[in-house]
Amino acid sequence: MADLLSARALMGISLGFHIIYSTIGIGLPFMLMIAEWRSLRTGDESYHQLARRWIRPAAILFAIGAVSGTIISFELGLLWPRFMAFSGPLIGLAFSMEGFAFFTEAIFLALYFYGERRLSRRMLFFCTIVLTLSSATSAVFVISANAWMNTPTGFHLVNGVLADVHPWQAFVNPAWAHEAVHGTLAAYAATGFAVAGVYAAALLRGPAREHHQRALTLAMTVASISLPLMLVSGDWAAMTLAVQQKPKLAAMESLFTSTRGAPLVIGGWPDPASGRVLYGIEIPRFLSLLAYRDPDALVEGLDALPPGTTPDPRLVHPFFDLMVGSFFIMLAAAVWFWWLRWRRRSAPMGRWPLRAVLVASPFGMIALESGWLVTEFGRQPWIVHGHMRVAEGVTTQTGIGLVLFTFLVVYLVLTAGLLRLLFRPASAGTQIPSRQEDRHVDS
Amino acid sequence: MWTLENLAAGAVYLGLVMYAVFGGADFGGGIWTALASGPRTPEQRDQLFNAIGPVWETNHVWLIFVVVTLFTAFPEGFAALFTVLMVPLVIALIGINFRGAAFAFRHFGRQTGRPVSFMASIFAASSMLTPFAFGMAVTAAASGKIVFMNGLVQVEPWIWFSPFTLVGGAVGMGICAYLAPIYMTVRSDGELRGDFRQRGIIAGLVLGILTAAEIPVAMVDAPLFAGRLLASWAAFFVVLAVLAGISTQVLLWRCRFLPAQIAAAGTVTLAMTGFAAAMYPDLLVGQLTLAAAAAPTATLRAYLSVLAIGIIILVPSLLFLYWTFRGAPDSELPH
Repeated sequence: MADLLSARALMGISLGFHIIYSTIGIGLPFMLMIAEWRSLRTGDESYHQLARRWIRPAAILFAIGAVSGTIISFELGLLWPRFMAFSGPLIGLAFSMEGFAFFTEAIFLALYFYGERRLSRRMLFFCTIVLTLSSATSAVFVISANAWMNTPTGFHLVNGVLADVHPWQAFVNPAWAHEAVHGTLAAYAATGFAVAGVYAAALLRGPAREHHQRALTLAMTVASISLPLMLVSGDWAAMTLAVQQKPKLAAMESLFTSTRGAPLVIGGWPDPASGRVLYGIEIPRFLSLLAYRDPDALVEGLDALPPGTTPDPRLVHPFFDLMVGSFFIMLAAAVWFWWLRWRRRSAPMGRWPLRAVLVASPFGMIALESGWLVTEFGRQPWIVHGHMRVAEGVTTQTGIGLVLFTFLVVYLVLTAGLLRLLFRPASAGTQIPSRQEDRHVDS
Repeated sequence: MWTLENLAAGAVYLGLVMYAVFGGADFGGGIWTALASGPRTPEQRDQLFNAIGPVWETNHVWLIFVVVTLFTAFPEGFAALFTVLMVPLVIALIGINFRGAAFAFRHFGRQTGRPVSFMASIFAASSMLTPFAFGMAVTAAASGKIVFMNGLVQVEPWIWFSPFTLVGGAVGMGICAYLAPIYMTVRSDGELRGDFRQRGIIAGLVLGILTAAEIPVAMVDAPLFAGRLLASWAAFFVVLAVLAGISTQVLLWRCRFLPAQIAAAGTVTLAMTGFAAAMYPDLLVGQLTLAAAAAPTATLRAYLSVLAIGIIILVPSLLFLYWTFRGAPDSELPH
């Protein structure tokens, strides 16, 4: 039992850590591409300079993303060998395809980062296109494996043994489409806000510099285009959940009993003992309306399934609300930002709207992490929904607690080192050495 | 012979060879930053760091390729290996992490002009630890000691620790330390090139002694594997590896650096081919065959078609990468 808990904690921490770096690995290439394209199109060198400024912090983040991704691939076997023995033939394809996409990403990343002296400007721009495409497809592929755990298809079980295996069917499982779209778009919103926050902070701290303004606008553009798409894809995800993953939807909304004209509950604390949500705000019939486009529709509650087969709403509902709440914080900051930009085109941004962007900047990552927690906690107690419980997938090895402790230390050291490096006096992206300094370092 | 599981096993073998020949040289670079000596110590270190910079992440993906291929095509074998070899694999993983982070921190921290020697020593230590642990893990699968019964691997805490696997770990480290200086002879000149040539020759001797020592150790500690190695095709590849190794030494001696580089990569490839041939047809020697560990036919087919498409995209991209960064490494960092 302690080993199971340690394995779950370690996998959760590793994924939670990796998600941040892989998200930046998807979002940043897109921003590099826009900057390089603008530079080529308008002949304005400053956009190219802006992109090159991001390389030093990006290279460090990408390196950590690559090694933390390696940890994940190993942990699949180290912690969940019985799950992998069962599902490897089905989700292995998603990981194989992701592997090639990641290979392409690593190659063109190196070419773009280190190729300034050896490649033409057009070729550098081409590298950013390949980077953007390969990082996005890499996310879309790997999300298929997670979606399969939610809606496993492409096989039959005969006496507990896999039979009639169709890996391509498993790859295009029902939950894949909405998870892939929603998850990949989230990476652009989260990276956009994170980068916008860095430059809002720089503008608040020091004198306004042209490239700070430019970078802020570019990052806010990427983030703001993603926001409405997040709303649409989130609505699509909820409607699909209402058909495919009813217990997850019920846990998200803390719906204990099946109800006609079910209300939407905002906030509050789900209390399984009484089967009610304490201190929540109810919007009558709104859940039925959102999920089925009918205010009187029947929404299945957690009681529709036998006890012990449904998730705990106390772990799902708060994170769902945190995800949606984060969205509205970002939306408010974005609306204010663009309203001022539209009203006073050339004037520098005031301090309060910059502060708003700064406050909103971590909420993309917070929303992404909590959305991931919703989908994971919402699948419990299953590792493969309806077929294999988490406890059945864990390793037969003992001493996982020690492994957990070891990796906790590894992650703490990595994070401390990274923060020290990124927030050095000349902080990331705000100052780069001039040519002379460069030579000095090299000589 | 050309069964689906053999083709998939070929992909695992290919991934391991690529990881050793390319990624191994990166690890070797780390080892030689620690062993750098003589009047040109800082130059040796800088040259090694600069050469690793653009390629290490790509080279590292071969490891992920091997892991993914294992769990897609040989899920039972993957589960067994990763259960019983947890300790060496965790050690390797910690090494990979600290190595990647220390490299990035050292490499980009340097731009501010501050000394980051602490990072360099972490980088060097983890460059030794990781290939050693991988060497142990790979040879443990060949030791014949891991017991697989009724679809389950018997968990024994110290099964991966024996004279055979210890020498295997040393060989893993030796391969890395051997490749790096020989590759560097092509990418440097003058006295620095002389330094790398000398280190390549010494590493070649050490690696030769280590691999030669592994055979008598195997005869005592892993008799099943040793028997297979000395019979069959495996022996043929071992002889070829020895010949390639001697040629590399001669070529280095005569300062024929480009052929020496190719011969060195060939030596490692042939030695690993001998190892793989002695493993065949098993994934866990004497316990679990490739066929028994393999995924259903439909999965193997799908995997091999993904592999074919992937290679079409991968090969030109890789060639472009290595072609772009050929020659003397840039001393300027990206900015």
